Amino acid sequence: MSQPAMINRYRWYELIAIYAGIFVFLAFILSPFVEGFLVSLKPLGLLFSSPYKFWPENGSFDAYRTMWVSVPGFARYIFNSFFISTIVTAVVLVLVVPSAYAFARFKFRGSGPLLAAFLAVNMFSGAVLLIPLFRLMRTLGVLNTYFAMIVPGVAFLIPSAIWLLRTYMMRIPRELDEAAFVDGASHFYTLRRVILPIAMPGITVVAITTFIGSYAQQFIFALTFNSKTEYMPLPIGLYAYFGRQEVIWNELMAASFVGIAPAVILIFLMQRYLVAGLTAGAVKQ
Amino acid sequence: MGQLNLNTVQKFYGTFEVLKGIELEVKNGEFVVFVGPSGCGKSTLLRMIAGLDETSSGDILIDGKRVNDLPPVKRGIAMVFQSYALYPHMTVFENIAFPLRVEKMPEEKLKAKVEHAARILHLDQRLQQKPGMLSGGQRQRVAIGRAIVREPKIFLFDEPLSNLDAALRADMRIELAKLHRQLQATMIYVTHDQVEAMTMADRIVVLNAGEIAQTGAPLELYHKPANIFVAGFIGNPKMNFLAVTCKGVVDAGVEVDYKGQTVVVPVRPHAGLVGRTLTLGVRPEHILLGAGDLSLTVTPTVIERLGAHTVAYAAIGGGEGENYCAMLPGTVAIRPEEQVLTGIRAADCHLFDEAGIALERRVELTDIDMGLLDPAAA
Repeated sequence: MSQPAMINRYRWYELIAIYAGIFVFLAFILSPFVEGFLVSLKPLGLLFSSPYKFWPENGSFDAYRTMWVSVPGFARYIFNSFFISTIVTAVVLVLVVPSAYAFARFKFRGSGPLLAAFLAVNMFSGAVLLIPLFRLMRTLGVLNTYFAMIVPGVAFLIPSAIWLLRTYMMRIPRELDEAAFVDGASHFYTLRRVILPIAMPGITVVAITTFIGSYAQQFIFALTFNSKTEYMPLPIGLYAYFGRQEVIWNELMAASFVGIAPAVILIFLMQRYLVAGLTAGAVKQ
Repeated sequence: MGQLNLNTVQKFYGTFEVLKGIELEVKNGEFVVFVGPSGCGKSTLLRMIAGLDETSSGDILIDGKRVNDLPPVKRGIAMVFQSYALYPHMTVFENIAFPLRVEKMPEEKLKAKVEHAARILHLDQRLQQKPGMLSGGQRQRVAIGRAIVREPKIFLFDEPLSNLDAALRADMRIELAKLHRQLQATMIYVTHDQVEAMTMADRIVVLNAGEIAQTGAPLELYHKPANIFVAGFIGNPKMNFLAVTCKGVVDAGVEVDYKGQTVVVPVRPHAGLVGRTLTLGVRPEHILLGAGDLSLTVTPTVIERLGAHTVAYAAIGGGEGENYCAMLPGTVAIRPEEQVLTGIRAADCHLFDEAGIALERRVELTDIDMGLLDPAAA
């Protein structure tokens, strides 16, 4: 094993303190997931036994089978969530890539105030604007459609995406644009052939954060702007496990895990575009 | 093909005048170097010729056609950047082919051109590699290759070698000089390194504070600098300057007095010099050990042994820092803090008036023919 760099060497008690800290914080973050998974394995009756047992005795994956039966539309909810987030991410990328390039490269009147305004928009949470948005949607007659859940999602995710990608693009040397310009390339040609490939890691980060952001925020928009069952996304769909009399906790937990699985897989696949050092050799730094 | 004219070209940033009416003519096939200290406007001037920066006033003409408002690609120029500016995600082939792809050249013709350029630059074995895998010198050659395939009328180089280490820079200097002879193209080269300027240029343009201080062949600038700035800028170590008083004008030149010693400097005088304080300039490499037409006893504070030369620094005339420098033979027997007698020959001296303008030297250039050095006269 190679020695760590001098700056990264610690005494034994420092190492213990570091790992203890890591353990405490990880426990906070991960224990709900562990408990959720364990609950999904237990039969419903065992959940209310006293004294409470953390470890599932005679646990099984039955809940992962029965969940599809007790809420027949669940597959549709997963699809809806996935569909809304994918469309939101695609629209955000199409709009944000050229505008981030413009904010990173061109000097134009109002670019500063515009960027500040984008930050300001982020300070309002979507919740503050729900009522005005609801009235707007009703007037336009788009309530209870995918459109009503996609458009606000896009609007609220664009500002942070522009900030993120602009910062990334500003790190691409300006000489590359100038060299392309001298060689006769137009701005769009430069963006497509030079900037886009180099900015791919940045674009991937923006895509992932937008996708996650859209997954997280669709709950609030779906709750207010949509009442049709067939358009329900996953977070609302989970409510179907809240019965009149009782909550089917084990199936609810199983459904939560199944519901986020496609998103996790997608992000896992996208991660391989997050390669560092793509600009190596472009300019002398 | 490749004639450049600058007619009173000016550049303002706000109200600040960066370039003050530049007049210059560059002939077809000439290798012209813009040199000057940082901030003198040399890079700005190059970027204006390239079409990357706007020209505030005046005309830029390429082959007699005004190009002020044309984009770079329509001007028939190609530019090589200091930082290479290669596209990191493309192979060397695609990097060189980029300008041809932009103009949508057919694949076969494109391939032939790229391979031709790669052969000139010895990059044939590297065509499928990415810039990140190349050394600094190879990267710079790729950048030059991208300029060659366009077959421009004028090549523009913006300090292309300043990112390379010293040994590589010397190699690239030779390669660039060969490339210039091979392509017979007009080249304009910006640098702050006077060695690059002296070795490669047909003609050097020395810029200072937005103005052309002097234009001329390398040795012309060395032997007949037009003013104190050029005298101090060209040559390393820097020229020594001594304050002298003009005693009179004789047939042989101007008689000056330095602390009681008189010497006749062979320069062409002009009226009203007598009694004035002038500046006498002498290059460190022209200072001799022992007495000369003008003799100075100095106490060196620092001595640098370079092998071929020994450079001695001393403070004279009550100056604070080391303002006197002598370049002596490598094995000369001198020590720091020990007095030594140095001499200056009158024929090696330069003389500048109060405005810093040189009085033209009557140099006996028997061993160098200026006609051969100045391509304009040849």
